[in-house]
Amino acid sequence: MGNTVSPDSQKSAAQAVADAASAIEGVEAEVVERSSGTNPRNVVVVSASPESWRFLAENLYSEHAVDHCSMVTGIHWPDAEAERRWEVVYHLLRTGVRDPPIENGLVRPMMANPTKLRGASVPIELEIHVHIPDTTTPSVDSVQDIWVGADWNEKETWDLVGIDFDGHQGMRRVLQPHETPQGFHPLQKQHHLRYHGFEEMYDDAQGFMRKPADVGKIK
Amino acid sequence: MAEMWISMGPQHPMTHGLWTLKVKVDGETVVDTEPDLGYIHRGVEKICESRDFTQITTYCDRLCYASANTWSHAYIYAAEDLLEVEVPERAEYIRLVAVELQRIASHLMWLGAYGPDIGNLSVMVWCLREREMMMDLLQELGGSRMHYNFPRVGGVKRDLPHGFAQRARAKLKLFLNRIQEYEALFDESTVFLVRSQGVGYAKPEEMVNHGVTGPNLRAGGVNYDIRWAHPYSVYSELDWAPPVERSSIKGADCYDRYRVRVEEMRVSASLVLQALDKMPGGADTYHEPEDPMILAKAPTRAPEGTTGAHHFEDSRGESMFYIAGGGEGRGKQPYRVSIRSPMFITIPYAAKCMIGYKVADIPAIMGSFDPCIGETDR
Repeated sequence: MGNTVSPDSQKSAAQAVADAASAIEGVEAEVVERSSGTNPRNVVVVSASPESWRFLAENLYSEHAVDHCSMVTGIHWPDAEAERRWEVVYHLLRTGVRDPPIENGLVRPMMANPTKLRGASVPIELEIHVHIPDTTTPSVDSVQDIWVGADWNEKETWDLVGIDFDGHQGMRRVLQPHETPQGFHPLQKQHHLRYHGFEEMYDDAQGFMRKPADVGKIK
Repeated sequence: MAEMWISMGPQHPMTHGLWTLKVKVDGETVVDTEPDLGYIHRGVEKICESRDFTQITTYCDRLCYASANTWSHAYIYAAEDLLEVEVPERAEYIRLVAVELQRIASHLMWLGAYGPDIGNLSVMVWCLREREMMMDLLQELGGSRMHYNFPRVGGVKRDLPHGFAQRARAKLKLFLNRIQEYEALFDESTVFLVRSQGVGYAKPEEMVNHGVTGPNLRAGGVNYDIRWAHPYSVYSELDWAPPVERSSIKGADCYDRYRVRVEEMRVSASLVLQALDKMPGGADTYHEPEDPMILAKAPTRAPEGTTGAHHFEDSRGESMFYIAGGGEGRGKQPYRVSIRSPMFITIPYAAKCMIGYKVADIPAIMGSFDPCIGETDR
């Protein structure tokens, strides 16, 4: 009972990371209390400039043991003000996972006790927003070499949203076909979802003969 | 010997779905791999942008056909974060029952599919027999066999039906006895042991850095679990601990990943039984769907600039939703929905794990990571 991380210890751990991150130039960090269901959770919400992002990522990895990149999300905001037309959101976790110790040639499983974790071993979650000004070729620095888990996330973000990652090795289409036209990224907002007519489903399943304006069919 | 690329898939028993694994071989030895995904990319994220918050659960159900409930619940928690809804405690218990039953069903599906992968055909039939019991229980909750559409923003669709708790207890008791049968089938099968032990080693620290979580990580001897690290639902009220496997010093092999999933089914069954006992209002009393204990009132519109996110322990690892809501004139619909699929991240890692092993080990290694292509391709 009560064998989960308590909100209080999570809050102080999150606050420590937020304070340290705020000291970096171009970075603003705060701890936001969110709820899901009945549980409160404390999230470190960071806003970083594209120039400071790479330094922030290295700092979090080496100084604060943030060891897991959950997700990279790209968002296209064509109607926002010019400084924030593109946004990349990183969700990071500090898991505290270490290779279990070996004693007498046997592995001793590492059983963290959630109620006893303190300080830098408390699992925390971070949400980092990087805003990119208006451009036709948005890009931020890649963190593929810091968290390998970001590798395919970055590939996907480029594939679907069109935000490129400087320094990313082996960028390619992952979810869309390899022969997708250059510059086509479906999650950009100029592409609208559109209903097929009943016959179209069979005559033109791929949509290659699509009419330029589909009045009344765009949702 | 000359090296050459061969293509396994898209139609191949190893893939458990539709994708291609390009393998560079030197004789029988794998020297390089390259996964190629996207064969069933449906654009769920784009579709969600033109649906109301309440309509999206059905799409999330269909992300993974083996584990529908965990996906719709992962979405609902993120949507509740966005819409700032307080969920009644009874509904949280019912959700826990639904999710943990689904976890058992998903692991049984995996176990059943993993047997034929490495030459043990009969286990498939045995596992599907018990999966049927779990699906019957889930059908009582959601009304459908695979895609339940069970959770709602602010609660669940309906209460546990009359007699559900009694039937669930009886079936889980039977199930806990029958787990021993699978263990006997696998652990006493020389073919299984020879093919699963000592192949596909993976170390915990490396796995976390590569984004691999869930049972695959716990097989390596660490107890990291989103359910205690970032608690949601009522896991803090129940007595449980995630199962951990004592791996070899080289890391977790395919056998450890099999063991940890079998143990996880036991833990899930125990969680369901505890939740039925502790449920506020009693598991045997039926409440009407309009009852505030089942479904809280929830707003349908999100103010502009709000976001919601939630990390969730899926059957295959950490799943996650991030929703940017609101926007000009579109308060009922999300502006952007982003989905983290555990398998999308794990498949490239599993492909790296194969390097150095023989071509015949590929199905054993790939299968042990529990790939599901529905969620991978979205």
